[in-house]
Amino acid sequence: MVLVDSALEAVKRGSTTIGIKTPAFAMLASHIKPVRPLIDPAEKIFTIDGHVGATGSGYIGDILQLIEELRLEAQKHKLNFESPIDVGSLAKHLGSFLHNYTIYAVRPQAASVIVAGIDQTGLQLYQVDPSGTFMRGSGFAIGQSSDIALDVVQREYSGDMSIEQAVALSNKAIEKALGERPVVEIGVVEAQDGQFQKLH
Amino acid sequence: MTTIVGIKTNEGVVLGSDKRASKGFFIGSKITQKITKIDDTLAVAIAGQLSDAEYLIKVSKAERKLIELRRGFPLTVKESARLIANLAYSGMKNYQPYFVELLVAGVDQDGGHIYAADMSGAITSEDFASSGSGSPIAYGVLESTYHKEITNEEAKQIATKAVSAAMERDPGSGNGIDVLVIPNLVMEVAR
Repeated sequence: MVLVDSALEAVKRGSTTIGIKTPAFAMLASHIKPVRPLIDPAEKIFTIDGHVGATGSGYIGDILQLIEELRLEAQKHKLNFESPIDVGSLAKHLGSFLHNYTIYAVRPQAASVIVAGIDQTGLQLYQVDPSGTFMRGSGFAIGQSSDIALDVVQREYSGDMSIEQAVALSNKAIEKALGERPVVEIGVVEAQDGQFQKLH
Repeated sequence: MTTIVGIKTNEGVVLGSDKRASKGFFIGSKITQKITKIDDTLAVAIAGQLSDAEYLIKVSKAERKLIELRRGFPLTVKESARLIANLAYSGMKNYQPYFVELLVAGVDQDGGHIYAADMSGAITSEDFASSGSGSPIAYGVLESTYHKEITNEEAKQIATKAVSAAMERDPGSGNGIDVLVIPNLVMEVAR
């Protein structure tokens, strides 16, 4: 599992990324690495389907391939069942897609992904790792110094936070992890309207 | 040949059918089961080629169970109808269509639903529906007696009446009536 370990190591060097879920919404926040003034930063929050969004940390090329895989699976479900896919199935699919890389001597996808969305069973937040492991929960952090960021989120998480408070919390967590004021991209899905939206 | 009917009520869904299987001008069977339960919350009524329908139901039963196990909660009636219709349509591509018209009836979190599905791949949601050679006659009864506030018990009687009316005048239908009632799910108290 040396290859998987190095993939995880690559994720650890990626941009700090956070997912927070409360009973009212699920939010994704991703740190955009400062780039040279003439270069536009890469998009980091992705809409998978109307009701699901995802973000990732690691090699951007690998993240994009995983995002494509999620989008494809969401549309396949729509064709087969004429209904929006549930977030658990998306996470599970991504998990088995990634797991497939671990059973051959190939380069695993160096990207962890956080998926936020809503389905028939309510709001969902998942983290999927290069090993194929996927976890459901209310707070995740991946990327550079993610353990520090996750500590901050864990300490100050509250179920009745507003979206603004959650954005502030993730900003704070990323700032603490990196020791600098971050530029952050945000995506939110609210229980009320069930639509995933990028905030800024 | 055949007469099948499905009725949506506020308490669930009701399916009715006759029991005749025709082999041309010969009655092949007088005790055919044309209503098949997929599970406790979903059933399909069959009109058309019985062998094709049996196969479709067998596959969709497995597929539905598999999805339920994978994602942890069952398919809605609409999702099941879409699954079955896609399967029915798949035969068209090989120029060997499944000669069936199905009524997919069941209950889910949103109550009872009736869908008509066939080899065209289309599904239509209906308050009540009928299919098979006896359907024009059954529709006469359904159109004149169905109303929105119908109970399961009433729907049972109307389904029986519709099928028996069809059996009186349609030579493709006869030999008795089957009725299946699927009551709405009992909602759990929120924890």
